[in-house]
This record gives sequence, structure tokens and C-alpha cells, in this order.
Amino acid sequence: MKMFSKLNNFFSSVKLAIFLFIAIAAIAMIGTFINQGNTINQYKKIFGPAAYHILYRLGFLNIYDSWYFIGLAALLIVNLVFASANIFPQTLKAVFGPFPSFKETLDKKTPKGVFETLESKKTAEEIKKNLNLKFGKPFVKKQGDNGGSTELYYSKNSVFRFSPFIAHLSVIIIIVGVLLNFKYGFRSYTNIKVGEKTNVSYLLKNQKPVKLPFVIRLDKYQTKYYPDRIPKAYISTISIIKNHVTVLTKNMEVNHPVTYDGITIYQASYGHYKPTKVIVRILSLNLKNPAYRKYINAAIGKSYPAGVGGISFSFIPYKHPKKGRLPFYLNIIKNDKKNAVKKVRFHILPDKNLKEPMIFAKYKHMVFLYTGIAQVKTYYYSGMEISKNKYVSLVWIGCIILIVSMFFAFFFNQAQTWVRLTEAEGGKKTIIEIISVPKKKFESFYKRFNKNIADIKKELGG
Amino acid sequence: MTPNVSVLDGSLYFTISLIFVALSFMGYLVFLFIGNKAISKISFGFLITSFIIQTFAFIIRWIYAYKIGIDTPPLVDLYDSLVFFAYVIIFGFILLRIFYDFDALGFIITFVALLALVFASFSPMAVSAIEPTIPALQSYWLLYHIIALFLSYGAFAASFGLGILYLIKSGKESKPALTQPAQNGGGQQIKIKKQSKFLSLLPPPKIIEEAIYKVIVFGVVFLTAGIAIGAAWADSAWGGYWSWDPKETWSLITWLTYMLFIHARLTKGWGGKKMAWIAVIGFAVVIFCYLGVDLIIPGLHSYATPGSNPIL
Ligand code: HEM
Repeated sequence: MKMFSKLNNFFSSVKLAIFLFIAIAAIAMIGTFINQGNTINQYKKIFGPAAYHILYRLGFLNIYDSWYFIGLAALLIVNLVFASANIFPQTLKAVFGPFPSFKETLDKKTPKGVFETLESKKTAEEIKKNLNLKFGKPFVKKQGDNGGSTELYYSKNSVFRFSPFIAHLSVIIIIVGVLLNFKYGFRSYTNIKVGEKTNVSYLLKNQKPVKLPFVIRLDKYQTKYYPDRIPKAYISTISIIKNHVTVLTKNMEVNHPVTYDGITIYQASYGHYKPTKVIVRILSLNLKNPAYRKYINAAIGKSYPAGVGGISFSFIPYKHPKKGRLPFYLNIIKNDKKNAVKKVRFHILPDKNLKEPMIFAKYKHMVFLYTGIAQVKTYYYSGMEISKNKYVSLVWIGCIILIVSMFFAFFFNQAQTWVRLTEAEGGKKTIIEIISVPKKKFESFYKRFNKNIADIKKELGG
Repeated sequence: MTPNVSVLDGSLYFTISLIFVALSFMGYLVFLFIGNKAISKISFGFLITSFIIQTFAFIIRWIYAYKIGIDTPPLVDLYDSLVFFAYVIIFGFILLRIFYDFDALGFIITFVALLALVFASFSPMAVSAIEPTIPALQSYWLLYHIIALFLSYGAFAASFGLGILYLIKSGKESKPALTQPAQNGGGQQIKIKKQSKFLSLLPPPKIIEEAIYKVIVFGVVFLTAGIAIGAAWADSAWGGYWSWDPKETWSLITWLTYMLFIHARLTKGWGGKKMAWIAVIGFAVVIFCYLGVDLIIPGLHSYATPGSNPIL
């Protein structure tokens, strides 16, 4: 029993709460000065290998998931549960009674309380009316046991005594919600090319793949701009496919995620892969036959028949393109002999009359005039964050209750007032004794009390 | 003649209001030494004037932003946030002044407001031009998030001022009290013969103490709401309600500091002076959370790099 009471004292103490507030704040602070979630190599570079090992051992590199941080959160819950369990009976008693008698309160001599004695020629019944005007309806009337005296009990704002209890409960709800999300939820990301689909996403914390219960397809990606080219909106059109059936197609924007099946998909980033397909535009000329001209749109790497001379050609990118040259050359293939190939490079001829230089390659009587890039095909992708926060509603409920209960805890000061009216001098006089005890020791409470007493004195006429 | 951009976007009026805040600050400073009630009234007049000009400036600025095609209120970059901070603490002081007789607090509040306005108007880091809002910030959550947090920052600034007043008052009074037999208990009843003008203008420590509590709990309610709104917003924009971003983490540290304040009152031995110290330290944490984090640690919320792109 003694053991239990000791443990109870420890786990419900406000001192432990203060320790926990400081400890959690201190650890959180460390986490903001040491970048969390870098790679091992980055850490080794920043701190050096020796310091890296120490920091790693201390768990400083992933501090918010560390056992001691979570342990402190758990201890906070224990602390809150014990403190609440201890506050609860007290609170119940303060709200619903049984309330201590006038004498008990007087004997207790609470340092917060104020005591005042008045005298009046009025009767107890008349005095009660005056008092009720000041302190509200008496909560309890009872005839004192020592004959002739009446006791009144007034209580102001007593329901709000529950507010700290409810505030603590809501913090428990929030922390439990957070821990459940931590255990059963995930945060991941994936990139999807326009037109492609996937059902695999990668955890943010360790890049491990997670399989989603559906397939996401990126139908379209678009960036909208303000007039001065500052991005205004990043919009992805995505479809959710379940069992080969498209169940949902929606636009997803920053601030407007798409939720399906308890999983939320967010627009997180966008980008494009390097151009994988370039189509150049070529004018093919035959010097022997000036009337011959043919435009060819040619993709890099593919071979095309030239139309004359029994040859085909292709454009091959240089492995190490040089400055001031086109990054590809012309590869001529004789149609009859597959292996006879000739590399022809493009010449760049500055032309004073034209703005653009002339770019051409010559092979025998054929001239290939490069007239520009017809099309560059790049693949846009959308970076999506995909997360599952199934218990997030617990967190929101807790937050709302917390804010409301804080408001009532802070701004309503409960006050209890005991009054004892005793007849003296054979009913000619009544002695009025008043004790008032506030929940919070505010100067304004005592001022108001003094003012009430002064008013009562005046009304009762000495 | 086309009006200057600073007229159109309201920033000129903020600069004008700065002059009035400066006048008010000087008035309150003079008041501290000579205790002339008329001076404090004039200072308060200056402050009200600056408040009206700022209100006007905010309206103009919002309309201007709307006209150039930005449909979220201009509150997101460093400049806007600083002028809004100044606005909120001036507003808070005006309220406090109406309900309590706290003229002595004037010089601290106007000083903090002045610092914020000077920083906004003259620091190269704070740009008054309105930039289009990037997609991540186009949300009404943002408006409520910022307003809630700034109301709390304003309250914490006031509690800081009150904490300092408390420390000055109780520090000066407790010394002579040692030589006198303390028969009448309560510190405020002790009469000190040579009390400076300044000290005599301050309310008794117990009243300051209560005001510190009330102002702080006001701030705590809004800080809690601001953090919760921020988390709700992050949940709808980023993919998680909490990511231990430095700013988020520091807001939690700030919150814990004030939770400490609220609970430390409940244990014996944490009297007025310690509480006043927590109020002062708490505000230092707030300022670090508000500005220090951006200057030292980059994160999602950076104010310090104008036009920085939080997520994309
Ligand atoms: C972590 C989040 C916590 C929050 C948000 C919170 C909130 C509150 C609030 C709002 C009050 C009312 C204060 C007032 O009226 O001035 C309060 C009082 C109190 N808190 Fe906490 N608290 C927390 C943690 C704790 C912990 C860990 C303990 C453990 C001992 C604790 C013990 C108490 C006690 C004993 C009271 C006084 C209750 C009463 O007056 O009936 N609190 N708390």
C-alpha cells in the first residue's frame, strides 16, 4: 500500500510534468540543430566518422523516432493519467459535494481564503436576500448543528473545475492518436510519368517500398503560371485503378489532395526526365537536280532513306560533344552494302545576311541542311506524397477539446463561499461570517471580495 | 501622374505609422522619468494614430494584392509578417491599456513594435513588394494559422514587458523590505520612502503577476490553436500533419515553455519572480521560433529567403 502510494505520488506529480516538459523540449531542440534524415555519407562528411558514430549511437540522427523520445511521450501519458485520476475525485467533490461545513473550512485555514465578520440588526432571512444578490443562489442551505445558526454555501463557476481534467484527457487523446499513426500509418512518395501507372511507393524515412491497395495513373500534368511566369498552380490529373477498373479520376493540386480508401495522395513536386526523343528537321537537296528538295523529320538514332543516291542516313549523338558543333553527326549507310558507313560532320557557316548560321552536311552531291529541332519530347512526372494517417481524426478531436477546455480552465476562476449567520443578543443582532476561497489566487478576486463586503455593509446599514 | 507603388501597396503608410510609433515610444520613455500623466496620454494618442494608419494600410494592401491577381491576403513574407506583428502587439496594448492602468508598459510595447517596423522597413531581407503566392500558400488555413499565431506572439510580447516590469518592481522593493520587519506580509503594502517616480507608477507586483498569467494564457490558447491549424493545413497540403520541421519543432518548444509556466505555478516555491523569468525567457523562445529559426535553420517555413519555395 505504501509502495503504491509512493509510486502514485511520483507518477502524478507536477514536478515530473515539469521535468518532462523540459526534457522533451531539450531533445526536440537538439533535433533542430542536427539535420535529421540525411544519408550516412552526408553525416560522415559533416561531422567526421568518429563524431558520426557517437551521434549515431546517441540516436541523435533520428531523434524523433528514438526510443527515449517515444519513451518520454509515453511517460507523459502515464503522468497525465495518474494526475487526472488524482484530480478527478477532488473535482467531483468540489462540483457536487459533499461540501465541508463552515467550521471545517475555517479550521483548515487555506492560505488562499479570505475571512470577514459583519454584524447586522436585520434577521437572517433578510440578510440572505442581500447575500444572494452578491454571491448568487446558495448551493446548499443547512441548519447548523450548534443551534440558532444557518449556513449557506455559494459556488461560482464550479462546473469549470472539470476543465483541467478534460484538457488533460484531450492531450492523452492527441498523443495516443499520434502514436497510433506512428505505428499503423506511413508516409511515402513516388514519381509517376505522365501516362504511366504504379502501385508502389517508397517510405520517406528509409526508402523501403510499400505496396498500395490500388494503382495510381497520372493522366496529365500541367503547371499554371501568373503573368510573370511565377508558378500559380501545379495540377496533376490522376486516376485510381482498383482491380483493373478506374474508380476515380480527379485533379490533384497542392492544398487539394486526393483521398481514397483511407490513403491520401498529395501533389508534392514535379519535374521532367531528360529529353529522350529529339526530332530534327532536315532539308535534303540534290546538287545535280536543283528541283529536288525534301523535308525529313528524323529522330535521333533512327535511319532514314535519303530518297536519292541509294543511301540511308541516321543521326548519331557524339559521345563527347564539342563546343560550337552540333551534338550529333550524320551517318551515311549505303543501301546495298550494309557495312559501308561514313561519318559526316555538320559544318556551321555563319551567314551575315541571315541571323541564324547555316548548318549543313555534305555527302557527294547531296546536301543535308539542318533547319532546326522539330520536336523535343520530354516526359513530365509528378512527385506524389502518399500517406496513411488513419488515426488523424483522433488528433483533431483532441485538439478541439483541448482548446475549448483550456479556454474554460483559464478564464473562469471558481470561487466557493461559506456564510454562517448566527443570532446574537436574543435575536436582536445577527453575526455574519463569510469565508471565500478562490481556485486561483488572483488579486482581482480579493478586490471584488472586498467590494462585495463593502456593499453588503452599506446595504445592511452597519 | 501615376502614384508610386509604395502608395498603392500601402507600404508607405506603414513607414508613416513607424514615425508615430517612434514618437509614442519617446513619449513613454520620458514619462518613465518624469511621470507626467499628460505625456503618457499624448503617447497613447500617437499610438492610436499609428494603429489607425496601419489598419488603413492593411486594407489598401489587401485590396492592391487582390487587384494584381493574388487572392490570398498578403501575410506570408517577412515584411508582411513583421508589420502584422507590430500591429497585433499595438492592438493588444491598446486593449490592455483600456482595461488596466498600465502606462508603464507602454515603453516596452512600443519598443518591440518599433523594432519590428524598423526591421520591416529597412532590412534588406524584408521586401515590401507583394509577390504572387506560390501554390503551397494558397489556402485559407494560412490566414487563420497566421492570425492565431500572431495574436499569441503579441500576447507573449506583452507578457515579456510585464515580466520585466515585475522584475524591476519586485527587485527594487524586496531589498528595503529586508531591513524592515515584515509585519504586514503582502509586498505591495510596504512603503518605501525614497521610491523613484518610475517605480511608483508601476502597479503592485501582485497585479502585474495576475496580468502576466492572464496575458500568457490568452497567448497559450491562440498558440495551441495556431499550431493545430498549422497541423491541419499541413495535413491537407503536405502529406502529414507534423514533419518535425524546425519551425514546427520550435513552436512545440515554445508551447512546452508556456505549459511549464502554467504548471510550475501549481508547485510550491515557484513564486512570482520565477514566473516573471519564465515569461521573459518564453518570449525569447518565441522570438527564436519566429525569426531565429528562419535565419539559422532553413525549413518549410522560411521567411528569410524571399520567394523561397517551400515544397516545390
Ligand atoms: C502536456 C500537456 C498538458 C496540458 C495541455 C495541460 C493543461 C492544463 C491546463 C489547461 C490546466 C489548468 C491550468 C489553469 O487553470 O491555470 C492544467 C492544470 C493542471 N495540470 Fe496540466 N496539462 C498538461 C500536462 C500535465 C501533466 C503531465 C501533469 C502531471 C502532473 C499535469 C498536472 C496538472 C495539475 C495537477 C493541474 C491543476 C489541476 C486543477 O487545478 O484542478 N498537467 N493543466
